[in-house]
Amino acid sequence: MIEVKNLVRTFKSGDRTIKPVNDVSFELEQGTLASIVGKSGSGKSTLLSLLGALDKPTSGDVVVNGVSLASMPDGKLTEYRRRDIGFVFQQFNLIPNLSAVDNVMLPMEFAGVRKAVRLARAKELLEQVQLDPEKHVRRINRLSGGEQQRVAIARALANEPKLILADEPTGNLDEQTGEHIIELLSSLSRDHNTTILVVTHDRQLANKTDRRFRLQQGRLTEEPARTRVAAAATA
Amino acid sequence: MSVLARSVGNAFRNKVRTGAVVAVLAVAIGLALSMLVANQAVAAKVTELNASVGTVLTVNPAGGQGFEGGGEPLTAEQAATAAAVPNVTDVVGTKALRLRNATEAAAQAAASTQASGTQAAGPGGGQGGPGGQSTTTLTTSLTAAVDAGTLGNRNQAAEGTTGSTGTTQPARSLPITATGIGAQVDSTGKALEITEGTGLSDYTAESSNALLGTTLAEKNGLSVGSTFTINDQTYTVGGLFDAGTTFGNNALYVTLPSAQTLAELPGELSTMIVTVDTLENVDSTKAALQDALGTDKADVTQGQNLETAVSSLDSVKNISFIAFVAALGTAGLIILLIMVMLVRERRREIGVLKAIGAPNRTIGLQFVLEALVLVALGSVVGAAVASFASGGIASALISSNTSTTTAATTGRGMPGGAAGLPGGGAGFPGGGPFGGASQLLTSVTASASPGVIAAGIAAVFGVAIIGALVPALLTARIRPIEVLRGE
Repeated sequence: MIEVKNLVRTFKSGDRTIKPVNDVSFELEQGTLASIVGKSGSGKSTLLSLLGALDKPTSGDVVVNGVSLASMPDGKLTEYRRRDIGFVFQQFNLIPNLSAVDNVMLPMEFAGVRKAVRLARAKELLEQVQLDPEKHVRRINRLSGGEQQRVAIARALANEPKLILADEPTGNLDEQTGEHIIELLSSLSRDHNTTILVVTHDRQLANKTDRRFRLQQGRLTEEPARTRVAAAATA
Repeated sequence: MSVLARSVGNAFRNKVRTGAVVAVLAVAIGLALSMLVANQAVAAKVTELNASVGTVLTVNPAGGQGFEGGGEPLTAEQAATAAAVPNVTDVVGTKALRLRNATEAAAQAAASTQASGTQAAGPGGGQGGPGGQSTTTLTTSLTAAVDAGTLGNRNQAAEGTTGSTGTTQPARSLPITATGIGAQVDSTGKALEITEGTGLSDYTAESSNALLGTTLAEKNGLSVGSTFTINDQTYTVGGLFDAGTTFGNNALYVTLPSAQTLAELPGELSTMIVTVDTLENVDSTKAALQDALGTDKADVTQGQNLETAVSSLDSVKNISFIAFVAALGTAGLIILLIMVMLVRERRREIGVLKAIGAPNRTIGLQFVLEALVLVALGSVVGAAVASFASGGIASALISSNTSTTTAATTGRGMPGGAAGLPGGGAGFPGGGPFGGASQLLTSVTASASPGVIAAGIAAVFGVAIIGALVPALLTARIRPIEVLRGE
């Protein structure tokens, strides 16, 4: 369970103080697929980086399974990112000179998983995200955008994290590929009991999530959303 | 993929740049290794020189040296006095003789008599040099192995017509140096290198055996067992030696009593070679020896040529060491700059690695290993460069650093080749049988031994690690949010 308590992040810009995240509080149960929508510059990515321990809040706290991130030293935060968080970036952020399977193996290597185990799991994950097996050993820069995003999702799943934070995961993809990625994230949340928080502009994606938040001028409000059960029933 | 494999892969990401970096590193590393090889070779030579002759003192009559100067000759009693000085382990006396070919000497004497009517000796007759206090000129059946050459003929032209009225002097060959020795050592105290035959067994007793320089024996068609004469007395070639120089090999050695008998000067010595027990005691023993013998009776020197040679070699050693450190520092600086550039270039990638949980030490290690891959490649090429270039670089260093030294050391004594004066251009005692500093210096052989190369590469790796640590530590300061925010 993730508890976000009165989270504030401010930046100085000349004489001005900007508050992209202003007193944000919410809770997410394990296995929830949630989305945050909002205009560009509304603070969505900043909130995501605070939840992922990439950035530190000015005030407030994020509590993950009863553990406060605010009191964690840097080393522990790195460990938290490695063990409990999976990131999916809009720009994929894969290592270009490595193959797809090597990219997926990276987080497991950092976690000290044996080579044989991580290789087998990386291949399994790549199959799970439906990447053609012959492309497993292909260098990242020789894969299409959709394929790269699938590799990025496989990498995010490598250490079986409790929380996946996806920043505009379909932002650089065509409609069809985006659809597939949405289905993939939805099934991951459902089948692996993984909490997924997606930052998106994509209404279609947001409508498919269990909970939908809107961030406006740093303040978060929850919008009513159809449950997946309801969505499935309608479908 | 392990950190090492990833580092190797990263090192070859940009092959053109990797090639350029390796080439620059190879030059720096090759230079560093060459300098280390030169340094080690010179250090080994200095040690060898110190071990072989560094503890040897030479005693000459006060005011005289070799065939030069004046003063009173040394005596057997003074040798006993020297032997009693503390820390002296050995005293070897020598008696220098100058041999002239009997036929030529007779022809020149006749020519001189015809020219002046009165001049029987002196420069024109080839009987002794200026002063000539401690040497005796004798006749021999041998012919010198050194041609008079330009120097000899020039001096002959200058001195051979002295007192004449335009009468041309007959052509003459150079004198041969004969030395009576009390042990199987040359005039510097260094063991004689016998190439054929045996030594003279007992050097303290009279003997009709002699040791000949290789070129002198060759010139006269002699081998071990052959005979020749000195003052009509027959001597047998007991062995051949190689002094390492043309001048040094135009000489012969007999036992000390034999030389004294030939000179009809029993108990008289030209020089004494005094060996001190340790290098540390050389200075104090030199002073004690000088006191014991008296400054008005004897000059005690510590192989001036060798001192100069060793000093010169020390200078080369220091220069090569400084150059080694500088080249090493350059290699480290190259690595530092390259890795700083790579870290700046890969800030985003480092941020991503941190975002997905890479510890700082893993990222730092990756960059250090990448640097070491580049250094390893540079070392392979650099070692190859060093193995080919080290000899040439060492020679260039030595020759450029010792040209003035060798000129000074070989220029002492009289110029060779003049009638009545020994030497084939090397001079005496500055060169010739005393070894010649130039000979010692140029005999330094710089070969790239695996041990030295390995030590040099280890030093290069050490410096590279230090150079790579700085950028590796810089990676720890990169905050993932700062580079990812760029999106």
